[in-house]
Amino acid sequence: MTGMPIIEVTDVSKRYGTVEALAGVSLAISRGEVVCLIGSSGSGKSTLLRSINGLEPIDGGSVLFEGIDVHAPGTDIRKVRQRMGMVFQSFELFPHMTARHNVMVGPEKVLGLPTAEARKRADELLAKVGLTDKAEVRPAQLSGGQQQRVAIARALAMQPAVMLFDEPTSALDPETIGEVLNVMKRLADEGMTMIVVTHEMSFARRVADRIAVFDHGRVIEVGPPAQIFDHPTVERTRDFLSHLGWGAASVPQS
Amino acid sequence: MTFDWSVITDNWQRLLEGAGITILLAAAAMILALPGGLLLAAMRSSSWSPVRGAATAFVEFFRTTPVLLQVYWVFYVLPVFTDIRLSAFGTGLAALALNVSAFNSETFRAGINSIRQGQRNAGLSLGMSTWQVMWIVVLPQAVPRVLPALASTWVSLFKDTSLVSVIAVQELSYVGLQLRSQTFRVLEVLTAMAVLYWLMGYPQAKIVDWIHRRMKVVE
Repeated sequence: MTGMPIIEVTDVSKRYGTVEALAGVSLAISRGEVVCLIGSSGSGKSTLLRSINGLEPIDGGSVLFEGIDVHAPGTDIRKVRQRMGMVFQSFELFPHMTARHNVMVGPEKVLGLPTAEARKRADELLAKVGLTDKAEVRPAQLSGGQQQRVAIARALAMQPAVMLFDEPTSALDPETIGEVLNVMKRLADEGMTMIVVTHEMSFARRVADRIAVFDHGRVIEVGPPAQIFDHPTVERTRDFLSHLGWGAASVPQS
Repeated sequence: MTFDWSVITDNWQRLLEGAGITILLAAAAMILALPGGLLLAAMRSSSWSPVRGAATAFVEFFRTTPVLLQVYWVFYVLPVFTDIRLSAFGTGLAALALNVSAFNSETFRAGINSIRQGQRNAGLSLGMSTWQVMWIVVLPQAVPRVLPALASTWVSLFKDTSLVSVIAVQELSYVGLQLRSQTFRVLEVLTAMAVLYWLMGYPQAKIVDWIHRRMKVVE
């Protein structure tokens, strides 16, 4: 699935003290593409994701989004973020607002939509993630999976061009992971451009167009799922996957 | 030892007026010190170091010197340095408001810092400005958390209003001490003052306890 690149990450570096979190990462993402970032903890995938919408300042390199340099001093980062939805590992719903209000607040306060219109949009999105009956409920009364679905609706309410997912199922109970992954799969099928940091290898294999494998702040291998899972060309990719029981020899599913 | 309560029964109106001024002074000082505290808290988290430094100096000065001295200072010294000349009430109000602003700013700061970074990031990633993140995301969560601390500050403030009697603000303590020196009925007057403060202060303390209990369950 190719098209013009919507995001171009070029030679991005980032260090925390003496630790090199990102050591020259380059990656281009096309419109409509689903790219999963995988790799062991601390390998830099989340740092890269957060640098794409400017939550994480970078030390070198550049991130272009729709041709705009995200980290350039003159860039209106708020305008950039309005077009990038982000979903966090720990949901980060606003606990003092109902589910509906959580989804409305972006369109209403940031985009300046009239309240009635923002409300309509929120209700449509809550229906889309299957939570119409929870509109009036506060996040504390929702399960983890329900909270994450509201969080996805909240991000979608801004009608973003890209969705960034930062380990969206890592904080969930096993029985609620599926409902979140299903919502994400549906989004991917609708053609949403998605960058997903994940440890859910079966999701990555099933949904991703391409997979980027991270190790020690570098992308060590990029390719379609079939290549990464069945014929990895890099030793470290093989090691990483075999630790997760995805050794090329075991060939699970399809 | 004989008690003569006529000093109280003859002057109850003056005492009540004094009590009214006490309430007015405390309420006005707190109404000024809530935005004052917020402003100082915002200044202290400014990225501009002169703003941060000025706010820190202000807060540390008012937190570490006696309120009594601050009242005198605003009364005697401020008019010398500046053209500001306030009535006794205005002076007392200004001193208390400045003092409580300093304490409130620390309270607000603690509340704001207790909201985890992920909440801010969620707001920012929707495209909110840092101001919007503060007003829409952080403060609505932080303020309920610090309500108990604000309520405790209020009770202290209420009692500290007695200190402005030294600059002749006609609040309850001043009225009482005047009566004492006019009538020499020391026991009766001081007892009546204590009862009046207690009558006003006790319900407040109960309300504060109630707020503490209500706010215990957070998130």
